[in-house]
Amino acid sequence: MSAVPNRPSARTAVPPKRTVRQPFDWTGLLFALGLTLVIVVPLLVVGTWAFTEVWRYPSLIPQQFGLRFWSQTLARADVWNALFLSLRLTTVVTVLSAIICLPAAYAFARLSFPGRNLLFLSFLASHAFPKFGLLVAIAGIFLHVGLIATFWGVVLIQLVSTLMLMIWVPVSAFQAVDRRMEEAARDAGAGPLRVFWSITLPQAGPTIFAAMLMTFVNTFYETEGAWLIGAPQIRTMPVLMISFINNQLVVQYGAVLSVMLWVPSLLALIFARRAVGTGAFARGFGA
Amino acid sequence: MAMLSSTLPARARAPAYGGAIIGLALVAMPVLLLGWLILYPILAAIVETMFPVGADGARGFSLASYRFFFSDDYSLANLRVTLWTTCVCGLLLVLVGLPIALYLRFSRGRFASYVQALAIFPMFVPSIILSYALIRTIGPNGTVDLVLNALGLPKLPTPYLTPWGPVIGLVWDNLPLTVLMLTAGLGQISNASVEAARDVGAGPLRVLVSIILPRMGNSLLVTLSFAVLGIFSAFTLPYVLGPASPEMMGPFMERTFSDNNDPLNALTQAVISFGFCLVFGLFYVRSIARNRESRR
Repeated sequence: MSAVPNRPSARTAVPPKRTVRQPFDWTGLLFALGLTLVIVVPLLVVGTWAFTEVWRYPSLIPQQFGLRFWSQTLARADVWNALFLSLRLTTVVTVLSAIICLPAAYAFARLSFPGRNLLFLSFLASHAFPKFGLLVAIAGIFLHVGLIATFWGVVLIQLVSTLMLMIWVPVSAFQAVDRRMEEAARDAGAGPLRVFWSITLPQAGPTIFAAMLMTFVNTFYETEGAWLIGAPQIRTMPVLMISFINNQLVVQYGAVLSVMLWVPSLLALIFARRAVGTGAFARGFGA
Repeated sequence: MAMLSSTLPARARAPAYGGAIIGLALVAMPVLLLGWLILYPILAAIVETMFPVGADGARGFSLASYRFFFSDDYSLANLRVTLWTTCVCGLLLVLVGLPIALYLRFSRGRFASYVQALAIFPMFVPSIILSYALIRTIGPNGTVDLVLNALGLPKLPTPYLTPWGPVIGLVWDNLPLTVLMLTAGLGQISNASVEAARDVGAGPLRVLVSIILPRMGNSLLVTLSFAVLGIFSAFTLPYVLGPASPEMMGPFMERTFSDNNDPLNALTQAVISFGFCLVFGLFYVRSIARNRESRR
């Protein structure tokens, strides 16, 4: 094809495979059905429970739908306390993470300095340890400095889990910025800060925003560090949900919370998928 | 400074050593955090468990806490169930993830994008919501029970609060990364080599065994290493879905640390977990390093 691109006779030499009608995608249908059953159904079940008032055993669908448990859940003081605590915690962690990581990401992407590759790899290497073992080791340190069961103890332990995402994704964002536009701006007399503000940031911005959004959502749902370091004094939303599940309280409380908290997660899904390519994401984990 | 730089050509504005200092300054904070909250705790855990504070208040070399772990039936049962769960999950993830990844790599079918979206979806489901969803679905009197009952079929024993509960949850939770990483690995296999094998008459199975799998070896191992590291010390799913005894290492460490207020033994368990995951961790790091090398 590349040898004789424009001659009509070359067109007819296209292998006949292309013109054969694709057979029906039975494998695809099978996977689609299987995954729907396994992935979607459990989530639908939770969604149904959230709007159920009465659902006794042998019936396939609830006997009575309604919003009674929404008002009951929202009337609980512990729910509001946990929600505000979680939001405060998550905001602090995300902002701190951005302040700490974004300049570093810029440096990794653009500047050359000794030890650059080794340091960058060391962030990925932090994934090479079993996470909860690491958390227990950190808790051992916090025990000596009195950070157990404190707000800042939980902030620090959640900050650790955000480092990789907040460095890896923005690095690829900064690398993707068109260098020629920056150089053109500098040639036109713009200073480095001006170039960064007017050229670099607008181009890298959406991906960085996506990374921050993902960090926010991941931190909001972070359970293990909050449970190990914070409990019982620092009760975040996930910690509260675990205690709802363990104490076998009214079934609907957990369902209502799940559906209510689903909103930020879904937002992240829409934004992050658009800004961060899945391929880049997988490579971030070493694939 | 500004005046000076504006007279220089663009390339010469930032002298190399200045860039190095600025670069190091910019990465200093996260690197320090990494050192303080990852490297130091790991080393401290090893030192503290091998040189514990004795009754006289002085530190001395002793492996007593390790000896206790490896002679205590309950600890060993927990370790065994953790290893079992990790192996079963790893196997299931490959058995489920590889066919999906193969389908996504080679199919142009109409369901491909739907299958991909669903396979990645669990990444956006927090494990606490997943635990809750699974209890309501496969737990006692859950949806599976309801459907079987409506069809007039006998009840299945529920996996909730058995070792199979965490297995189901962990496979669900780890499926997206497995599929993504395997698809990325498959992307490196050229269409030409697959088509060449097909042209000489190789069936799909033959193509898989002779062409695809040999080229997949590395990415399969990376995927497995990553899954193993995540599953071995998983906490939330085993804690909520698994049996109280024996428990997986995650809940075991948490209980030893918080409920029993016994940091020495909890740290010992953590160090033992590091030991068991060491091979996978090293392999993971090595292949990231090699991948970055080849991409440069």
